[in-house]
Amino acid sequence: MLWNRRRPGLAKVVYIGSTVATILAILPLYPRALDGAITTQRLVSIAPRISLAFRVDTVGFYFALLLGVLWLLCSIYSLGYIQKNETRYYCFLSLNLSFCLGVALSANMFTLFIFYELMTLFTYPLIIHEETEQARKAGLKYLVYSVSAGAVIMLGLILQYYYGGTLSFLGHGTLKLSQVGKPILLTIFSIYMLGFGVKACIMPLHGWVPDAHPAAPAPASALLSGVILKVGIFGIIRVMFDVFGIELLKTLGVALPMLIVASFSIIVGSLFALTQDELKRRLAYSSVAQVAYIVLGLFLLAPDGAIGGLLHIAHHAFMKGCLFLAAGVIIHETGKKKVSEMSGIGSRIPLTMAAFAVGALGMMGIPLTCGFITKWFLGLGTIQAHHPCFIAVLLISSLLNAVYFLPIVYVAFFKGESPEGESRLLRRETKRSMLVPVMICAGMIIILGVFVTVKGFPYSLVEVVVKAVF
Amino acid sequence: MSFSSHYSILLVAVPLAFAALCPIVGMWKRELCFPFSVAGAAAACFFIFSLWGKVISKGVVSYTPGGWKPPLGIQIRIDYVGLFMASIIGAVGLAVLVYSWRYVSRELDAEKIPYYYTLYMLLFASMLGFVVTGDIFNMFVFMEIFSISSYALVAITGQRRAVRAAFKYLLMGATSSVMVLLGIAFLYSTVGSLNMEDIAGRLAMGGYTSVASIALVLFLIGFAVKAALFPVHIWLPDAHSIAPSPISAVLSALVIKMGVLGILRIFFTVYTPGFAGIEGTWTALLQAIAWCAAISIVLASIMAIIQRDFKVMIAYSSIAHIGYILLGICMLTDKGLTGGLYNILAHALGKGCFFLVAGIIIYKHDLRRITSLRGLGRSMPVTAGAFAVASLSIVGLPPSAGFIAKWYILWGCLQKQHYVFMVMVLLGSLLSAIYCFRVVYYMFFVGSHSAEIDEGPATMIVPAASFAAATLFFGIFATLVLPSLSSAAQALLAG
Repeated sequence: MLWNRRRPGLAKVVYIGSTVATILAILPLYPRALDGAITTQRLVSIAPRISLAFRVDTVGFYFALLLGVLWLLCSIYSLGYIQKNETRYYCFLSLNLSFCLGVALSANMFTLFIFYELMTLFTYPLIIHEETEQARKAGLKYLVYSVSAGAVIMLGLILQYYYGGTLSFLGHGTLKLSQVGKPILLTIFSIYMLGFGVKACIMPLHGWVPDAHPAAPAPASALLSGVILKVGIFGIIRVMFDVFGIELLKTLGVALPMLIVASFSIIVGSLFALTQDELKRRLAYSSVAQVAYIVLGLFLLAPDGAIGGLLHIAHHAFMKGCLFLAAGVIIHETGKKKVSEMSGIGSRIPLTMAAFAVGALGMMGIPLTCGFITKWFLGLGTIQAHHPCFIAVLLISSLLNAVYFLPIVYVAFFKGESPEGESRLLRRETKRSMLVPVMICAGMIIILGVFVTVKGFPYSLVEVVVKAVF
Repeated sequence: MSFSSHYSILLVAVPLAFAALCPIVGMWKRELCFPFSVAGAAAACFFIFSLWGKVISKGVVSYTPGGWKPPLGIQIRIDYVGLFMASIIGAVGLAVLVYSWRYVSRELDAEKIPYYYTLYMLLFASMLGFVVTGDIFNMFVFMEIFSISSYALVAITGQRRAVRAAFKYLLMGATSSVMVLLGIAFLYSTVGSLNMEDIAGRLAMGGYTSVASIALVLFLIGFAVKAALFPVHIWLPDAHSIAPSPISAVLSALVIKMGVLGILRIFFTVYTPGFAGIEGTWTALLQAIAWCAAISIVLASIMAIIQRDFKVMIAYSSIAHIGYILLGICMLTDKGLTGGLYNILAHALGKGCFFLVAGIIIYKHDLRRITSLRGLGRSMPVTAGAFAVASLSIVGLPPSAGFIAKWYILWGCLQKQHYVFMVMVLLGSLLSAIYCFRVVYYMFFVGSHSAEIDEGPATMIVPAASFAAATLFFGIFATLVLPSLSSAAQALLAG
């Protein structure tokens, strides 16, 4: 539909229009989602007991809404940022939105897998959009990781189908310990974690992330980090809540190993981030660490931990969105990619760097930012789950976040010679289409950190989800 | 008897008659050969698809030409598997025939064109005959016809390497035919019948163990060569890559499946699964095929990765897919068989599309090296797009027919707890992702951006694009085919 090479302008209009329409289509579902009601729609039956079906439940709605909002912000930003091959870019961007929504609103593991694989494949053109040598290599690495992961998930899918008898999400676990037996359940669980863990970049499987993020154009990396990684997390959520069920996971005793893996990701990811000089690489490693927060929260298997983990999906999306988009402005306006070159850019692009600072503070979990809310609930969760030692992980991580983010802010504002005159300060900072999304993201970090319990904000939805599951 | 009761013989006889008349038409007016053959193929398609209703209601349609009752008379016996294969042959054969028109008018000398259509119709008719016959000797005759017409079609350009490839194909093919013939002779000399059901009945009475075992081994080797199963696949990469592209498509999509069908007929109709006396040999041979098939999948995929020539790569991929089909069948469960049969469909469409795309690219630009395909996604968006879509099916990604096939094959492996095979199937998918996406990569993500659109002729693009669309269609609406295939699988397993 959008494949009209001669008129990229038209493509843009159609594309932005369709994104807005998508959000508008999602919104009316809100009251039902808040009630915890489930709407299921079967589209086509592919094979006996396997169908392409959709369902709107609270967690799916939460995820879909987040997708819509972040996609819109990144698309507006793209209008200013993307300058070549626009039609291809917007075409794949909108295809990816629909596939991600497909994942969020799927009613069974089969549908989820179909959209998951499509999304995996169609993200590739976004990563290699710049068509540089670096981008090609990153794209290849991404494909190798993700396609292998796809095969692994398929293995899990067929095992689940064979032993569990159904792939549908029923709101509770469909695999039963008494019918299947512990060794096979553990196998299925590890296969799923291995498969979804690649996209969710759990530590030993994160290899593609630090290459793919810097290679992609800034709005695409914001989306990659903000939501596409979360699609992997979403897969894990479905596996936890709808395939196994919390009770079964507790019996299987898989929580502690997963917590250790997540903590490892958090600490080592942050340490890696510390050593990177390229800004976007640093952000990418930070994503590895931050996404592991979500895994940590979920696998505490305690209500507060789950709230923290689920909230962090939205919180991290806005924080990392803000940081990546700001990094995009830096590259676009000053051409600087490395942290060591950034002295004094605060006076050149003050608003962007202010937003960057807000994002950095959020990452550290300073009160009044949404990062604090996450950490608060995660902390409560560790106590609730009787694993208080993991608080230490959170604290160390905050510290490391401070160490690798604050110097950027510091050198940007307080170091280096000031620009050579008033005239430069008066110049427009950057294109408005790029500045506005950055500022909105920064605003959201504060708003989500202050007005936590307002209806319609993540907390109200997450609470419903967690109540239903625990 | 009404006219429609003769459809079962007409679906073979009509294209055969058209094949015989084609040279005469060609002598009169060369340009008429093409519409004439299309008419013949279309008529055959009509007969094939009209038979579905009957087969679904009765299970088996039996027809005896001239009213001679089997086992003395020749019997046409159309069951689910036979009609399923016949439908694929009809649809793919017709589409490729349409595609051939522009291709051969450029690639072949004018005086060869009537021969091309004659051989093509002969190939088409004999494959149909092969899948519908209930008589084992009749099957051999049709096998010889389609084999000989394929040798001739591979060599039709007359280039040196084409003749050499055809000769290699001929040597292996003729040896395998002799083995099948020998197997038939062994059976006939002891059992005294050539009708498949009749042989099965007589074998079941017992007392033929040693001869029957030898015959079984001969059949297996004979048909394995025709199916290009590892390690007797060596003729395929040359023959399939050097043949004119529409012929490559037919060879890959249809002709090698005849070997699979031969194995099915021998192992499930003649020697029934519950057959007393040589269960040991029967099971051991099927195990052997399963392992050969699994090795085919991995090895041929690796070979496909290291190829530089586009068509040779596609040819190796066919060997891997024969492996999937036979692996599914050898699981001896209803799901595995269903998956194997479904992959016959998925592979016919996907690989047909691949070769047709390769043909369009050769027709327009004469490009064969994978690295030289750069930028074609821009100048030939439909052709390259068809390739990209079909590669989803070849790799086995959802939502495509190949995915459904792999799903059922994996399910079959799981039913028998063959975890090693499951891993090999998935490994094969990964390897095929490498060789397919490499081509997609060169087509779409390398090269200039300003190329003008320069597509091939519509009669070539439409068949290729419709194959690609069909892979998606059968990936989403699999329930249209799956019930028939489960019935086919159950009928085969019941013997």
